[in-house]
Amino acid sequence: MSMKKNYVVETIRKAQMLELLNRGKRVDERALDQHREITVQTGVIQKANGSAIVTLGDSQVLAGVKIATGAPFPDTPDKGLLVVNAEILPLASPYAEPGPPSEEAIELARVVDRGIRESEMVDLHKLCIVEGKTVYTVFVDVNIMNVDGNLFDATSYAVVCALRTAKMKKYAIENDKVVMKDEETPVPVEKTPVSVTLARFGDKLVVDPNGEEEGAMDMRITITTDDDGNVCASQKGEASTITPAQVLEAADTSIRIGREIRAQLVEATKS
Amino acid sequence: MPEPKKLIGEDGRRLDGRRWDELRPISLEVGVLKNADGSAYINWGKNKIMAAVYGPKEVHPKHQVLPDRALLRTRYHMAPFSVDERKNPAPSRREIEISKVIREALVPAVLVEDYPRTAIEVWVEVLQSDGGSRVAGITAASLALADAGINMRDLVVGCSCGIIDSTVVADLDDTEDKEGSGDMPVAIMPNLNQVTLLQVDGIYTRENFQKAFELAIAKGREVYSMQRDALAKRFFSGEPQPMEESA
Amino acid sequence: MPMVQRKQVIPGDVIATGNHRYGSYIEKRGDEYVALRIGLAEVGPDGVKLNPLTGPYLPRAEDQVIGKVVDINGFGWVVDINSCFDGFLPASFVFGREFSPATHDLSSKFKVGDVIGARIESFDRSRDPQLSIRGEGYGKFPEGEIIKMSPTKVPRLIGRRGAMVNFISERTGCDVKVGQNGVVVIVGPPEGMAKATAVVKMIDQGTHGADLMGKVEEYLGGSSVAGA
Repeated sequence: MSMKKNYVVETIRKAQMLELLNRGKRVDERALDQHREITVQTGVIQKANGSAIVTLGDSQVLAGVKIATGAPFPDTPDKGLLVVNAEILPLASPYAEPGPPSEEAIELARVVDRGIRESEMVDLHKLCIVEGKTVYTVFVDVNIMNVDGNLFDATSYAVVCALRTAKMKKYAIENDKVVMKDEETPVPVEKTPVSVTLARFGDKLVVDPNGEEEGAMDMRITITTDDDGNVCASQKGEASTITPAQVLEAADTSIRIGREIRAQLVEATKS
Repeated sequence: MPEPKKLIGEDGRRLDGRRWDELRPISLEVGVLKNADGSAYINWGKNKIMAAVYGPKEVHPKHQVLPDRALLRTRYHMAPFSVDERKNPAPSRREIEISKVIREALVPAVLVEDYPRTAIEVWVEVLQSDGGSRVAGITAASLALADAGINMRDLVVGCSCGIIDSTVVADLDDTEDKEGSGDMPVAIMPNLNQVTLLQVDGIYTRENFQKAFELAIAKGREVYSMQRDALAKRFFSGEPQPMEESA
Repeated sequence: MPMVQRKQVIPGDVIATGNHRYGSYIEKRGDEYVALRIGLAEVGPDGVKLNPLTGPYLPRAEDQVIGKVVDINGFGWVVDINSCFDGFLPASFVFGREFSPATHDLSSKFKVGDVIGARIESFDRSRDPQLSIRGEGYGKFPEGEIIKMSPTKVPRLIGRRGAMVNFISERTGCDVKVGQNGVVVIVGPPEGMAKATAVVKMIDQGTHGADLMGKVEEYLGGSSVAGA
């Protein structure tokens, strides 16, 4: 499901958008590099090990973390498992439908997962309990509740906030057996990756496109950066192009805007 | 923590003997499948990939018809025997995502508006996989589209760069992709100087990000000259081609 | 003789710069003329041209095509014209204005499977091409050898002002009907048909140089069936 496929922006509205952009303005009066308001509520699902509802403008997503133990992958016997998944619920938009995940939903989940994984946000070595045998398995599932553009960033922020506040059971080894305790410990979070998506309209790049802007944009580029300003994931999307110079411009904007958003996400999730 | 495997030796050579900016051997052949309207086969390192184009043709199911342009369908699929452990032939989430980004990398080059109400199908079959299979697939698919005689603004060519042992290198192979710390597949339209595919994983300083990105573009241009040679071999066979008889 | 520059091009190649008239398969970008197909480009007094070496048949109004009837509905015949768009021959074009689906039996005229020669009356992007059989040489082809070739090679088979196809006809004693959609029907004595078929296939498959006529002449040379 994507807004782009189903949501037709009126030609005159698009013309208006482009005209505004040429004067450095956007339809919702934001600056070109200004993201929509972000709100974060954590600990909303008691049965989850961590959870967060994040809104980015009118896009709303809920991420829940479930942690169990299991066997590691054979090729990484000393690392725990971290899996991010996302589903666009039928209740999220008039264009969403139940059924197997669409290409768009799969891309969304994989791009967000890549940002979390590649930034090494969670130290997977610290999720190892008995090498080759038992590790923590951390599943982050994201439900998209309302769609209004830029699900990539909204989903990523929800995952980050849910993980930053998630707790897992401590364990002890008694008689060569792993025994879970009632006491809890935070998930070993080392970094706070921040995803920043830009939409291209002609030669202009704008941060955090809303649903209407996504309907009219040429293409988008998502860049995830870490606390040190490193780029750790990126994805170009939609059937159009971007110049090499614009890619570098997008990287600089993502690093800069990412720093502001990171501070906000850290503040909203501090214990 | 175990010491990460050394991927670059004291002499600056990589495990397979390449320098940091060297491509693996690449060979391309155009017009290899009889039934297809266009086809190409690529050997890139250990990658063996067949790309075929059918169309423009009727759209089925009908409700997918686009009134003003062609529907470009892509499927990137890995044969069960293409990897070390047998792969389930059902499309994985990875293949679905790659199919999507390949489509979005090719569409900008195709004049889809010249073929309204039709479908153009691009099938990319990975017979043996190695690092960089999606950029190799795109490189072959764009040749197959040209071979099919679909109107195109430019060819599309890809190359992947990444980071191993904290060094930016070109064209990661399987081991470097798995053991290294980052992979960045990039596809471009070389004449239009436009990026049509960009995916990044790994950790890149701003400086390394630019270095790897620009290296991928430069190496893509090297592969582009091989694409040209492959088309010339198929269509021009070295003969001079005046056209006295053309009506 | 005015100078004509020729070059081999692939999609994205700049054929010429400046200000010229230009034909199909070429896009103008600023002052550059860019190839959209693999082909042989010409820059001369007539402007910039590109003769593609590969590609599907896309119908154009006024094209002469050969197709086969694949379906009949109440109002006409659906004709496969070797394209992604089926041709449609309206019954009123055949039976005239008094055509009525109630009184006229369409299959009495053309049945499914019949091969017909037709002209493309009109074609736009929203509807399938409309065919007409008004004029000489159109209508049903009751016999002959049917051959499909690459539509991009049809101009070579026809030759300058029909020189090539007339030559093949003359030397083989066959009637060679060429559809611009890459369908060819050959009618004549059996040995002549075999020869003519072989020549059409040779023209279709080869990437021939300048002297195609010479090669064809050499092939048909001493064995003129019609005794031409």
